[in-house]
Amino acid sequence: MIVRADLHLHSCLSPCGDLSMSPREIAYRCAERGVRLAALTDHNSALNCPAFDAAAREAGITALFGIEAQPREECHILCLFARPETALMLGSELYDLMPPVMNVPEKMGDQVYVDENEDIAGEVDKYLITSAELGLEELSARVIALGGIVIPAHVDRPSFSLSSQLGFIPDGPWAALEVVRMPDGDSPRSVDTRGYPLITSSDAHFPEHVARRAFDLDIADDRLITDSGRVDLEVIKAALLRRPR
Amino acid sequence: MKTSELQGFLGAVCVQDSFANKEIAGAYTSDLLSDAMANAVDGGVLITIQAHKNTVAVGTLKDLAAIVVCNNRPIPDDMIEAARAEGIAIFVTKENQFTVSGKLWQRLGS
Repeated sequence: MIVRADLHLHSCLSPCGDLSMSPREIAYRCAERGVRLAALTDHNSALNCPAFDAAAREAGITALFGIEAQPREECHILCLFARPETALMLGSELYDLMPPVMNVPEKMGDQVYVDENEDIAGEVDKYLITSAELGLEELSARVIALGGIVIPAHVDRPSFSLSSQLGFIPDGPWAALEVVRMPDGDSPRSVDTRGYPLITSSDAHFPEHVARRAFDLDIADDRLITDSGRVDLEVIKAALLRRPR
Repeated sequence: MKTSELQGFLGAVCVQDSFANKEIAGAYTSDLLSDAMANAVDGGVLITIQAHKNTVAVGTLKDLAAIVVCNNRPIPDDMIEAARAEGIAIFVTKENQFTVSGKLWQRLGS
């Protein structure tokens, strides 16, 4: 079975995310544009994941719970989990590791999270687009230890990517790499993706961008959802291996 | 030293000239934006090779007078637009961060 997926979405919690990007708005936009599997991935925080869980059920889509984490190397890494609680745990660890650079909402944008009724539940005080004091390897190992999957974000982009920060794609437990543009067969690649499976996703910060680079995930005859009602990440990993490289 | 003096002093090209011509409070050199965010001088100059609009976000947070982009890195249009909206000057020079830092250190001190 083919599942249309968008695994990189920002809500109103990201300072650069539009205030209209509530978890429910995202879930319904995904549903109306044919995305069946969606991951919420705010910068360094998962505080909107519980609300996204409820919104995704309501909209009839399947949710993954993530963070676009920024380790010391200043590259953006999608860390995805089956359960919101696990994403929240990583988020709380990252919060403690972020420097005390405070957000200035009027300059940088609001960092608000909401409850299941979409009422504002709180605001994050530290500015979220900073680097947590841990290395890329430590971060990846932590995500794997928590049972999650790791996908370096927009590796072909000239900022906040593995290629911009390190100059190359290092070995790592990457389930896939996210690219902005899938390489076409003939032209030379801007970055050597070293045989890792490739995906694209929206990196949406505004409602109109949700699902703009959604991709097809072939889960074959596997069951996407376990008996506990959560996504089986082993199925996702196996499906990602079938993606173009 | 005023922001407008940077062009002549560094032999740089000004690619975003819509800025308040304020007194420069100091300078910081870094290519890691999270480091610049933590350590750049408020009202100062950031010397960097990071030529994209995220650098302007750091400039906004730190009220930077100017961003000096080294090694003739190409400046994307959206960076110029963002800097114009914020009134932050952008200068581009063929010189590297070491050279620009050395020149500015002589004028502004550490």
